Amino acid sequence: MNAITVKHVSFSYDDLLILDDISFQITPGEIIAIIGPNGSGKTTLIKQILGLLSPDKGSITLFDKAPKKQRTKIGYVPQRFEFDRTTPITIYEFLKLEQCGNKHHAISKIDTFLELVGLNTHKHARLSSLSGGQFQRAMIARALLHEKKILIFDEPSTGIDIAGEKTIYDLIEKINKERDVTCIIVSHELNIVTKYAHRVICINKKLVCMGIPEQVITQDTLSSLYGKHTGLYHSHT
Amino acid sequence: MLDLFQYTFMQRAIIAGICSGISLGWLGVFLTTRKMSFLGDGLAHASLAGVAIAILLGWAPIPLAILFAVFIAIIIYIVEKKTTVSADMAIGMLFTASMAVGIILLQYYEGYQPELMSYLFGNILTITQTDLITIIFSTVIIIFLLLIHHRKLVFTTFDPDGAYLSGIDTWKYDILLYIISAVTIVLSIKLVGLILVSALIITPSAIGKLFAKSFTSFLVISTVFAINIVFWGIILSYILDWPSGATIILFGFTLFLLGSIIKKTIK
Repeated sequence: MNAITVKHVSFSYDDLLILDDISFQITPGEIIAIIGPNGSGKTTLIKQILGLLSPDKGSITLFDKAPKKQRTKIGYVPQRFEFDRTTPITIYEFLKLEQCGNKHHAISKIDTFLELVGLNTHKHARLSSLSGGQFQRAMIARALLHEKKILIFDEPSTGIDIAGEKTIYDLIEKINKERDVTCIIVSHELNIVTKYAHRVICINKKLVCMGIPEQVITQDTLSSLYGKHTGLYHSHT
Repeated sequence: MLDLFQYTFMQRAIIAGICSGISLGWLGVFLTTRKMSFLGDGLAHASLAGVAIAILLGWAPIPLAILFAVFIAIIIYIVEKKTTVSADMAIGMLFTASMAVGIILLQYYEGYQPELMSYLFGNILTITQTDLITIIFSTVIIIFLLLIHHRKLVFTTFDPDGAYLSGIDTWKYDILLYIISAVTIVLSIKLVGLILVSALIITPSAIGKLFAKSFTSFLVISTVFAINIVFWGIILSYILDWPSGATIILFGFTLFLLGSIIKKTIK
């Protein structure tokens, strides 16, 4: 059984075509990178996998069921978490919003995952006081509280320095190996994608290419994806 | 000063005020976090149509105003979620349209309607025994609902997508919050008036944000301040012989200014 099956998915906002006949499968335990230029439909595709949007044509299933029915099996770490930064909510309170057993069990589980992401000393800090990297790690800790089968990371290293970036991707790799969780990473960081992803899916409204990083991330593919003179690959390696 | 507690109307006003303070302070935390303070204003103004219909029919205004405000709250929710109209536009259009209906209907009432002024600006003298019982009963139900759904209400307020992925049917808690808002606001209009009631949603939360270090303390501080603003506002209005609604709101605003100064000084 596939973790995710995307079959002939098309989607438009008003008359603007965002996704055009996209199909692929993801097997359980894979780390998949989805790459593509801005406006290529990556975030729309993620929203459809999460069940927040429905395709105009085609279908998406998670473990053979509709995304809405499987939504508790997906963890999502968004690129930006929009919230009113004047709201006084602590990291602990934020994580406690997820129901994870009785009070005692929940506290110990939260402590465990905060330690895993290296935020145990910040437990009672306000969410708004965290740096970009700390915030992403808090979001990852929250996504891990439930036994999720699929984790989706939308540009997880946005606004994070190189050291913080490595910490986050190492953590994703660790989660994938230790818990056999299917991970999807939406990223522009091609060097990172090459290092961590098992397979890469390139989209630009349509499915441009799909395969293992060494085969897919070539100058030709990147030229067709981002334009002929981007030089993106060289700048990242 | 203690003699004021001997008057029945003051006893009713203070008990009703404390009840309204608890629910408005608590609710304010959710509405301000959702950046929906305007909903309070909108629902209060929209209830004028319900008040006007009740006055024309010779019925008790509060129950009809509650029904009307709940109806408007649900319409606002549907318009906001199912159309491209944004929340503030939906609230703005519906509350002004409802007010317009209320104003036109009141044209057909012959003679002076003193009770109408108390709905617009608040008058503690007009709080009846029936009003008091309704307010106490409703406050108990509202607090009960806010307590048992606390986690899900905070979750849907703070992170709707996260709440959805956690398996919560977020729309149910959105609707619940809208309905609770409508009931709480209408129950408080005799105290402060429909023109001023939204200040009791915003001001305690604004004070709470100044001092709170966590969401729990935010809730507690806001609610405690809301109770105190109403209580001491009523006492001041009696002592100074000022209109109750305006005195309560000005007292709250003064506390916010003092709180801001203290906060700056501590820093």
